[in-house]
Amino acid sequence: MHAAPISRLINELSRLPGVGRRTAQRLAFHILRADDEEAFALADAIREVKEKIGLCEICQNLAEGPRCRICQDEGRDRSVICVVEEPADVIPFERIGEFRGLYHVLGGALSPIDGIDPEHLKIAELLHRAGAEEVREVVLATNPTTTGEATALHIAGQLGGVVIVTRLASGLPVGADLEHADEVTLGRAFSGRRTL
Amino acid sequence: MPGTFKTEAVVLRSIRYGEADRIIHLYTTTRGRVNAIAKGARRPKSRFGGRLEPFFRCELVLYEGRGELCTVNAASTLDGYPALRADGAAIDAAARACDAVLRLLDSAEPNLLAYNLLCRYLALLEAGEERLEAALAFRLKLILVAGFAPELAACARCGERQDLSGFSGAAGGVVCGSCEAEGFSLSAEAHRFLVGAIGNPIADVGGASASALRQAERAINEIVEHHAQVRFRRASRR
Repeated sequence: MHAAPISRLINELSRLPGVGRRTAQRLAFHILRADDEEAFALADAIREVKEKIGLCEICQNLAEGPRCRICQDEGRDRSVICVVEEPADVIPFERIGEFRGLYHVLGGALSPIDGIDPEHLKIAELLHRAGAEEVREVVLATNPTTTGEATALHIAGQLGGVVIVTRLASGLPVGADLEHADEVTLGRAFSGRRTL
Repeated sequence: MPGTFKTEAVVLRSIRYGEADRIIHLYTTTRGRVNAIAKGARRPKSRFGGRLEPFFRCELVLYEGRGELCTVNAASTLDGYPALRADGAAIDAAARACDAVLRLLDSAEPNLLAYNLLCRYLALLEAGEERLEAALAFRLKLILVAGFAPELAACARCGERQDLSGFSGAAGGVVCGSCEAEGFSLSAEAHRFLVGAIGNPIADVGGASASALRQAERAINEIVEHHAQVRFRRASRR
């Protein structure tokens, strides 16, 4: 129905997550209507990110060059490593500004149901890093989901005795009603209560 | 016809979807396998909280529209299995059990025996029962309630009751020495384990050597591959 280049663009766009055929068609026509500068800027940005962005050789986060900006920063506390599942999980920690240590990105979480075993994640790299003399604490900040918990428990078992291993506290979100809390979350919040 | 319905279910699997949604695969008491979308379930202040995480046993209110997915309107916990969630080996075993249910029971036809079996196994994991023997007994009972029970009392090929020394998935059970060519060797210990696992509660299943358990797992896998055309994942990470 469309000219071959348009069909190709629609096909490529519809492969993006959350983009169906109709949305892809709408985006394709938007790109066609846009001026050359705007359209080519998008194409260049995609090409540039694929050519220049790789994984940091230390923390496995996304990096331009061999090391990410956080690992290059001499002012960061190198004795604490915060372990997260995905590169996007680093952003909220950086936003709160309280954590000044380094990160380690696993690239996912253990999930037997999806066939993701320890060897599919960057766990060996983490164990190697944690063995360094300067590392004092590893903070397990995987998601508080079943797969995230399984990953945290597995890593804690592997790191036992090597360094201090801590897990993010889990409990009730600020502003939520107790009435709506599920039993597991409320149970954890209760067992992790603190003295005021 | 579109409308809401209430059902009890175990969450078998949960997949991230879109910005903050989840697609959950359920095994329900009234409609067998159901897939549903839980909108906003990944937001910290979602009204679902952690109730739609895998292995939760919940009472759900689902809306069935014209699409393939139901929508979760409300969820209340019947059992969250908190101790299971604090143990990596138990989480692994529960995930493999749910995976087996997902693969074997994919129809909308309810199977209350399978549902009760899964709940019982999750409760045993909650109580600390993490043996491979229990995981295999669960699988064997699951194929039994799904209608694919292997023949263990007599040769599945010729009916002979003596000299049962092999197992054939194609024949549907144990086979005698003269019919063994089409199967694999099954030790007397592995045969005893299979008989004990199918005839006793999971908690009471006896121990067996590693080689007998490997043979038992192979027998279970061959039965489901030949007769249900599904392939189970390994019963443990090992």
